Amino acid sequence: MNMLTVQDLRKIFGKFEAVKGVSFAVEKGESYGLLGPNGAGKSTTINMITGLFPPTSGEIHIKDIDVVKNQKQAQKWIGVVPQEIALYQSMSARENLKFWGRMYDLSGSALEKSVDQVLEIIGLSERAKDKVETFSGGMKRRVNIGAAILHKPELLIMDEPTVGIDPQSRNHILETVKRLNNEGMTIIYTSHYMEEVEYLCERIGIVDHGELIASGTLSELRETIGDHSKIILAMDKERFNPEQITESLTTFFSDKDFQIQDQQVMVFHKEPQLILTDFIQSVTKTGAKITSVDIVEPNLESVFLHLTGRNLRD
Amino acid sequence: MKFLWLAWKDLLLIARDKKAFLTLILMPLLLIAILGSALGNMMKEDEDISIKKFTLGVVNLDQGQLSKVLTEEVFSKSLSKQIQVKYYQEDELNKKIKDHKLTVGIIIQDDFTASLMSGEETKVKLLSVPDTVINATIVQNVIEQFSRSIPIEAVVSQMAQPVQTGNQGGIMQEGYGKKPLLNETTIDAKTKPVSSFQYYAAAMGVMFLLMTVVQGVSTMILEKEQDVFNRLLLTNLTYPNYLLGKMLGLMIICLLQVFIIIVGTSLIFGVDWGSSVSGIVIMTFAFVVNASGLGVLAGSFIKTEKSFNVAGMFGTQIMAALGGSMVPLYVFPNWVVFITKFLPNGLALQTYLDLMSGATVSKILPAIAGSIGLGLFFFAIGLIRLSWERRGKYA
Ligand SMILES: Nc1ncnc2c1ncn2[C@@H]1O[C@H](COP(=O)(O)OP(=O)(O)OP(=O)(O)O)[C@@H](O)[C@H]1O
Ligand SMILES: [Mg+2]
Repeated sequence: MNMLTVQDLRKIFGKFEAVKGVSFAVEKGESYGLLGPNGAGKSTTINMITGLFPPTSGEIHIKDIDVVKNQKQAQKWIGVVPQEIALYQSMSARENLKFWGRMYDLSGSALEKSVDQVLEIIGLSERAKDKVETFSGGMKRRVNIGAAILHKPELLIMDEPTVGIDPQSRNHILETVKRLNNEGMTIIYTSHYMEEVEYLCERIGIVDHGELIASGTLSELRETIGDHSKIILAMDKERFNPEQITESLTTFFSDKDFQIQDQQVMVFHKEPQLILTDFIQSVTKTGAKITSVDIVEPNLESVFLHLTGRNLRD
Repeated sequence: MKFLWLAWKDLLLIARDKKAFLTLILMPLLLIAILGSALGNMMKEDEDISIKKFTLGVVNLDQGQLSKVLTEEVFSKSLSKQIQVKYYQEDELNKKIKDHKLTVGIIIQDDFTASLMSGEETKVKLLSVPDTVINATIVQNVIEQFSRSIPIEAVVSQMAQPVQTGNQGGIMQEGYGKKPLLNETTIDAKTKPVSSFQYYAAAMGVMFLLMTVVQGVSTMILEKEQDVFNRLLLTNLTYPNYLLGKMLGLMIICLLQVFIIIVGTSLIFGVDWGSSVSGIVIMTFAFVVNASGLGVLAGSFIKTEKSFNVAGMFGTQIMAALGGSMVPLYVFPNWVVFITKFLPNGLALQTYLDLMSGATVSKILPAIAGSIGLGLFFFAIGLIRLSWERRGKYA
């Protein structure tokens, strides 16, 4: 059974079309990622799915409930982690969780138990009594997530839950989400960090300018760019001569297989090990000095680059 | 039940917001202090100003003894320093006052003595020219004191009571637009007079509550633009439940402030708020329903918090002026006073004044019902307007 189906979803703000006919489905137990740069329309799509505002046209079903028509009924099944931190700053973590739990009709010992569990999950049992305003950005984010899972939703929808936080908190959040997914919770996760989506999501949709430009599993998406890896040589400033390097490389590679940018020289190839020595030799021949060598497996970044001609993060 | 937790959360947030909490507690106290110094000065000034002797026109339709005692013993003899009494026919008196030949006149009805002796209510008509409220107030107070000391002291000849000079005169010094040529007041002989101090305490208290409600509604609009509000919308909380919770929170805050104002003014200045505690609590509740209903209505038409604040500021001032918080209601013609009952604060002020002059809960029931009814009416229109707007968004 599909947990969520979205059909031809559109949203027009005034004259601006922020979402232009997006369709996808998420199965029960799956984790689905929406990847896209700033302003791609991820939040707009999420907000329509959660029933915060209605689509201009299109259909959304959560467990066969029409979200546009019966939003309150559909909302019972979902937990939403908004992109912004939506908590009461002068209340403690526990007070916040209790309040939000009550808004989801929890009470009594069930509420207490759930709050304790969630505090455990987000790793803040120790700081439960402290006011949210005294927390670090990462800790606030964790409470922001905690408030969405108190009522044990079947579908957890997260809108960039790791924006602007330290790596440690980020890892903690990613692991938490992974664990929830392993325990059977269906996850929708939006981000513009491809590493996060790669780590967490079985299937991924790439959004740009309000359109879903590609979707599939990670390996399916990789195939769209022909599975090319990238070798990156970082160069020392001294004796670095781009023209000479270009000239030297053209004897081995065709123009579109290599790239010189700033002080980096890059080559794309299916099997990087086979060409590595030739590549390094043609560069050092010019007298240039290499400071490091990197081989990058094909990733979503290169998929996005391939599809749009732009980098995911500008 | 969720609305209870919503209200609780709002109170918790205010209690923890030092600035908001201080405003909540300190403002009423500050108000009381201002009230005290303003009125204190005024009263001192009044003592210095010797009130000029004036002529009181009397129409005595009563044949009994008590009206004679009042006019001859009290007004003519005991108050001879201030008052000269002249007797007229009814038409004559009316004309004199209309022409400003006389400033104050009273008409004593024919049942005056009989009614007072049997402990029934009676009425003395007081006519005055608006500018000379001090004179009218003196006369009014004398009559009220007189009728209250009957029948116990009816036989005793010392009828003269200390005159409370000029209390209400102070209020009238502000300028006001068109004045009616003739100001007619009917004195209910069985009610307690309300002093200017009491009047001001109630009037400013009501104005203060109005400001609190405006403030509350404006934070409601502000909250709509915040992320927590969106999150609330995603929970099982329904919109009416949300509004209910907000109003409950506001109501508790208002009751707390009324409590501070009442306890403060009565402890420090001995202001008598009447004996009906339940009357005051219920009326405050009704007033908050009414005022926040109006606030929600206004809020439903006004989009941003900024424009609401501006509208709220002006609205509060205008309503306060019309509702009697700046110029006493006595100066308005009766039909205006009636119309001001449709303003939340106008109705509340008049009811507080009724309570001060001894009204019981049962007597103010119509006002309470009217206040709550009006509030629910405003509230309903606001809700309809809001849901209409939401549906519009959904189209
Ligand atoms: N209420 C609105 N009115 C007008 N335009 C809007 C509104 N909300 C979003 N937009 C526009 O729609 C586009 C998509 O915005 P959205 O917030 O969905 O992007 P996003 O993918 O979530 O970006 P980010 O990664 O920065 O969160 C943007 O160009 C934005 O300016
Ligand atoms: Mg976004």
